Amino acid sequence: MTFSATLEETGSDARIFLKGELDASSAPQFKDAVEQAAAKSPKRLILFMNELDFMASAGLRILIFAKQKMGQGVGIYVIGCKGPVLNTLEMSGFHRSVYVQDTYSE
Amino acid sequence: MEPMTFPASLDSLSPLRKYVGDAAEGTGLSKEATYKLQLIVDEIATNIISYGYGDSGLSGDIIIAGEVLDNKLRITLEDTGREFDLSKKELPSEDDLEKPLEEREIGGLGIFLTMRDVDNFNYKRIGDRNYNIFEMYIKEHDVPSNK
Repeated sequence: MTFSATLEETGSDARIFLKGELDASSAPQFKDAVEQAAAKSPKRLILFMNELDFMASAGLRILIFAKQKMGQGVGIYVIGCKGPVLNTLEMSGFHRSVYVQDTYSE
Repeated sequence: MEPMTFPASLDSLSPLRKYVGDAAEGTGLSKEATYKLQLIVDEIATNIISYGYGDSGLSGDIIIAGEVLDNKLRITLEDTGREFDLSKKELPSEDDLEKPLEEREIGGLGIFLTMRDVDNFNYKRIGDRNYNIFEMYIKEHDVPSNK
């Protein structure tokens, strides 16, 4: 399935909606969205992953990039992540550095 | 399944994963095991494309083949890129995986995900060809893949 990363800025939150399959060929689109989000200096980065069907380590690398680019003060939230994509986050220990939640409300 | 040939470009990752899904269909391999096999093939193919060919200034193809042997599904990736034995590469340690993201190294993660999940992994170099071979056992209690 085609990948898309859609950025929405709401107040001090930057929200990115991820859909489809995130691999090494689609990761640059996610990276662009993170860079655009970082340029606005948000307080939180909210990643909606409920429609993300596949994630390779190329996706994890963008999470590292996001954390390092935005700094420790910016909380990264991963919302609606499930099944094998959640498993990948947990196996690589990333769930300790981001907030993993089923839903998000301000 | 008939082997298929794809150009060594990142655009081939999606069709390579689809090939694995098609090869698993009807074999009885679970949906979860099929995803793991797709992830492994994706990670190794990414390495072949980016390092085996790309960084070495080489271009070429990746040939993928799927076969069912007794109780397992075997996927073979064949390429003519630089020799690259992933089984000899150093993996991130448990301590590395405990580290917060701001202290993480970028490399090695894909291979780490790969090695942990596959039932058998084998690498061979014959002449100018690399063979990366992955096997997943089809367990009797597995629900057939309904991809």
